[in-house]
Amino acid sequence: MRFMMLMIPKGYETAAPDVELDPARVTEMMKYNEALQQAGVLITLDGLHPPSVGARVSFEGGKPLVTDGPFAEAKEVLGGYWMIDVASRDEAIAWAKRCPASENEIIEIRQVQEMADFTPEVQEAAAGLDRLRTGSGRS
Amino acid sequence: MRFMVMVKASKETEAGVMPSEAMLTAMGQFNEEMVKAGVMQAGEGLHPSSKGARIRFTGKDVAVTDGPFPATGELVCGFWLIQTKSRDEAIAWMKRAPFDAGSELELRQVFEAEDFGDAFTPELREQEERLRAKAAKQ
Repeated sequence: MRFMMLMIPKGYETAAPDVELDPARVTEMMKYNEALQQAGVLITLDGLHPPSVGARVSFEGGKPLVTDGPFAEAKEVLGGYWMIDVASRDEAIAWAKRCPASENEIIEIRQVQEMADFTPEVQEAAAGLDRLRTGSGRS
Repeated sequence: MRFMVMVKASKETEAGVMPSEAMLTAMGQFNEEMVKAGVMQAGEGLHPSSKGARIRFTGKDVAVTDGPFPATGELVCGFWLIQTKSRDEAIAWMKRAPFDAGSELELRQVFEAEDFGDAFTPELREQEERLRAKAAKQ
């Protein structure tokens, strides 16, 4: 089963565009990333720039409207994520608990939808998804 | 530049309502265009938060809370990872996404090694590159 571990650092919703990371924390986090990789669990991971340099596209009334960050109403924002492949939800939670996170951080675990989760009609409509994926490697 | 585009959850996605065939077809065409343009790197949908969990780090303890999570405005139901030349190009692509009225996306640039400056030492960089190469083969 694939899961996303969504890292939600409290306070990141108001972080400056040039937010700086603590090298000691990066070193700790890299050890954790390495452990995920060595266990054959890690699929991918990324960190995200603060929302102050992000944008939101909303489709109110069917028309796209662009709003530049920061987003005043946001209480929680994403700081980064891991995609992992594990045997169960419990295993995903066990991995998240091992993360060297700070007191202001929350990790949300969400299972990724696989083809088998859909009805036959939906599977048919979504046919070709795997082909899109194989053609979408990092260029 | 790489961008993560988060699709915001709605009452419907949180209730487990699956997209219609028409929506999936339109989205498939949109994805196809992005792949042809060399923009799309990944895209996934997520199960509702009711099947998820949150892990809170309070300093000493690690607390696990099962979903659902109330703040629907902040929840995500899917994402894309795209690569474009600029922030404007990323926004232009996403304005074309075939969403129903009321949907919302959030675009956030992904950190690359060069963004970290001196904190990301040559040793850490090498470790990161090795890790990504291995993870890609799994």
